[in-house]
Amino acid sequence: MSYLDAPRLHFTGWFQADVSTINNDVRFFQNASFVPEYQQLDQNGSWNPEGTGIFRLLDCKVTGGALAGRSFVDPSQDPVIGLLVENADRRAPGKLVDLDPQQQMVSEIWGLQVRLLDAERRELLRGEYRPGPFCNLWRRQQTGVARDQQLAANYQSVLQDTAWADELDSPLLRALREASDDGCLSIAFNVYGYGRDATIPRYTMGHVVGSIGPYRRGEPRHFVAGRQMTADTTASLMVPAGGLYNLQGRFSARTGQLTLDFGNTFPIQDANSGLLDMGQVLVGVLRGNPQAVLATVDASRVGLVGEVPYRDPDWYTQTAGVQDFDLHERPDIAALLQDNPLALLSPLPDSSAYKVLLQESVDGLYLRADQFVFRLEPGEQATVELHATRFGQPLAGAGVGLVPTAGLMGGSGGGATISPPTRPAAAIPDIGTPAGVFTFPSSGSTDAAGRLDVPIALSAQGPGRPRGYIAGQLYGVAYRLDRLPPGYLFNPLNYVSVLAFDAKAVPAAPTWYDDIQPLFAQYGNLYPIMGRYVVDLNDYAAVCTRVKALQLAFSLPRSDPNHMPVTRDLGAGDRDTILAWLSTPGADGLPRLGRPSLPVGPAAATGTAAASPPPDLGLLPEQGGGKTAFVLQYEQRRRSAAESGDAS
Amino acid sequence: MIRLQASVIEGIRAADTPAKLHRYLQNAIELEHSTIPPYLTALLSLRPGRNRRIGELLRRIIVQEMLHMCIAANILIAIGGKPAINTPGFVPTYPGPLPMQIGNGLVVGIEAFSMPLLKNVFMAIEQPEDEVPVHVLKAAREAEPEYATIGQFYDAIQAQIRALGATIFVTPTAPPQVVAPHWFAPDKLFVITDPDSACRAIDIIKIEGEGTSTSPFQSPHDPAHFYQFGAIVNGREVITMPGEPGKPPSYAYAGAPIPFDPDGVWPLRANCRIADFKRGTDARTRIEQFAYNYSALLNALHLAFNGESDRFDAAIGLMYDLRVLAVALMQTVADPQTGETVGPSYELVHTQGGMQS
Repeated sequence: MSYLDAPRLHFTGWFQADVSTINNDVRFFQNASFVPEYQQLDQNGSWNPEGTGIFRLLDCKVTGGALAGRSFVDPSQDPVIGLLVENADRRAPGKLVDLDPQQQMVSEIWGLQVRLLDAERRELLRGEYRPGPFCNLWRRQQTGVARDQQLAANYQSVLQDTAWADELDSPLLRALREASDDGCLSIAFNVYGYGRDATIPRYTMGHVVGSIGPYRRGEPRHFVAGRQMTADTTASLMVPAGGLYNLQGRFSARTGQLTLDFGNTFPIQDANSGLLDMGQVLVGVLRGNPQAVLATVDASRVGLVGEVPYRDPDWYTQTAGVQDFDLHERPDIAALLQDNPLALLSPLPDSSAYKVLLQESVDGLYLRADQFVFRLEPGEQATVELHATRFGQPLAGAGVGLVPTAGLMGGSGGGATISPPTRPAAAIPDIGTPAGVFTFPSSGSTDAAGRLDVPIALSAQGPGRPRGYIAGQLYGVAYRLDRLPPGYLFNPLNYVSVLAFDAKAVPAAPTWYDDIQPLFAQYGNLYPIMGRYVVDLNDYAAVCTRVKALQLAFSLPRSDPNHMPVTRDLGAGDRDTILAWLSTPGADGLPRLGRPSLPVGPAAATGTAAASPPPDLGLLPEQGGGKTAFVLQYEQRRRSAAESGDAS
Repeated sequence: MIRLQASVIEGIRAADTPAKLHRYLQNAIELEHSTIPPYLTALLSLRPGRNRRIGELLRRIIVQEMLHMCIAANILIAIGGKPAINTPGFVPTYPGPLPMQIGNGLVVGIEAFSMPLLKNVFMAIEQPEDEVPVHVLKAAREAEPEYATIGQFYDAIQAQIRALGATIFVTPTAPPQVVAPHWFAPDKLFVITDPDSACRAIDIIKIEGEGTSTSPFQSPHDPAHFYQFGAIVNGREVITMPGEPGKPPSYAYAGAPIPFDPDGVWPLRANCRIADFKRGTDARTRIEQFAYNYSALLNALHLAFNGESDRFDAAIGLMYDLRVLAVALMQTVADPQTGETVGPSYELVHTQGGMQS
């Protein structure tokens, strides 16, 4: 069960993602070439250099719900409507965190608490958002003001460790409490209309619509193992060929309910415009199972399910785009759904045919990793949980192949030039090297539940700091079903990203000059909000005045919203070194200063990229760097590979 | 000299059960807390890298006010009470009087750092009963029998605790007291078990705030709050002057300079309230966020003193977050005509928004 089941509630409002932006360009991790100009607003596309990393909900309210075949939009139907959706009220707010400057396409929310409050501000529900990344990033917004982030995405995870009020007036909430396993709830939300212009009120903020429903033990947390419709992004990664973007849904043969999540499917004109009118959009199931994506289909070859009411003015905010289609009195359609693909259709004028806007994955086949972002310490192992389905049913005994991939990782994350240029020149590190230290099996087979647990492991020696000025290394794992029709469409965002930390022996008596300053200076450079206002991390004396606070912040688990560094990209070796330094003072009672060593240049980044600057993508300043740059770099790589005939 | 109504002292003296004393210790928590928003605002209003020494001194005072608040809460717990830290009315309305109408009409607001603010408000809050002459001899005071001093307030609590005796102390207490050795030295914040430990703790509050009757220093190199503010106002640190043998030492604001750069202060609008700002503006979302975060800090402290001691670290984390949230807030223009920027609000709130109209 998931947020696609009833009981569920829907909410809408705003979110803030006050991310810091200097770390959007990996070259700024090179301490030796860092200059204060890089910390200026809008320098090199850095649109929020004093970002705090905070992710929070604001003005969010429950606007809709579904329970036992009924849907609610008014408090008279169920008092869940109108409840406030709030953040933690006794600790710091959540944080939004990139995995790495060379992997900004899987930003995860950490330390977010979600609460429901009634009109008297009484807390009815509290839960911890299990950290997880966004997915399904696409250019949803057609036009915008300068610097608007026109890309949008969705999040899905679970709220864990939930706590409920004893007294619940809402039948929907009571049913939700009963329906969930392990104190968990399924939560999904769509984020869009995000502003990056410091002169507008929407700066660092955007819209959010979302849903909360039951969670069933053993099911994936970050997607629904149901029906998956995959947009054709062959021509342009961020612009689907049919104009509509990926969606997931489920069909329950028992209840006859087909539920589809259109929350991230329809484009919007501008940040505040609501959904773009694409004309009538119908849901159908094909009469037959074509082994390719269709451009059009004749009406005779389709069983119509119903119309998507997305043009009703309140539909999106009241449903978050989750729409039920009741098929319990339409056994013919229900039967078709067993082994034929869903399609979103647009009537063609003067024709008996429909244009196919979006189609279920070819042959209904789908394979996805549940959590797909990992941080690995040397010697550590983790498990990638793969789920295979066919037309929403577990696909047992399916062969799966796994290979290394760069995915959308690598590159600079910024433009071709940096102003002022880095001196010494900061090369853009290669990723995925050395290959041997990160391992995973190259194949496997799904079990009776369609699941395959894939162990991924980092060797005890770790990557060995191959990227020079920046610690750790990125690795990617691509996965696919062995048997796929030739015309199968993949979601290029579905791959596993791993940040592998370096092995580091903690010195017996770490000193500022030898062990701490390089770490703290980098952090101070990239996150000036800390250095300017809390403690100057470049200044030994200043750091000595905040030893206890630093001890606390560096000791907190990664899940704590006050964990330091906020970017959660510090390996255990470096962390333990910092903690050892803070807790083993020298004779003067202060952490050891040591002696400055002779100046040496930064360790050179490895790889061919060192020889050549990144390609000029023609990024306009208002496009910023970050995600836009990654997409363009990825597409350029894809084009280059196609031209050279390299299918990898 | 800051005064409170003499009836408060009479009430303390008439408290013949620990339960009757509870409200005065709750008053003490509220009083110690009430100085934090104005002092913190002054600190946060200093621009980065500017007025550093003043910032250090203000910060030290704020940390001590937090300590005093914790001490009062522990004493309340020690005699069977339960601190209330996040209840409506806990945060005074600014601008306005401090709790218990303290200050003889003194109005305390939420303002950017300025010398008049320090001189007229902060020094008035902290003024000792027996001010030690520093630099200039004080004038003789007229007796004002209808009012009592903060020192007398604490003196009366000490006296009443001793009069009621060891039996008013609860063992074990419910909730547990908070000691946070990571943040406050064990000889400053400790478990209160009897009249002696309670009185010793109250002495810390009195001396750190006002000094002693013979010295402006609460500890070597650390002047009591009143004299610390005085040093900032006078632009020089307090030092002990070389004295004549056999005579008591004298003091002067004649130490190292404490420079003040008036441009190094954000031009905050004084006494901002959430409702002053239109929804859909960055001013509104930011002031709501600040107030929500401050409310969360009080919630965390309330829980820490009501059975969840491990919440204290979260409260410290929230305190640091206020520092960070103030950055964008105080650079947000409140009035394009005057260039004033948005000041913080310490209203107790349960929600945060500001975008939705």
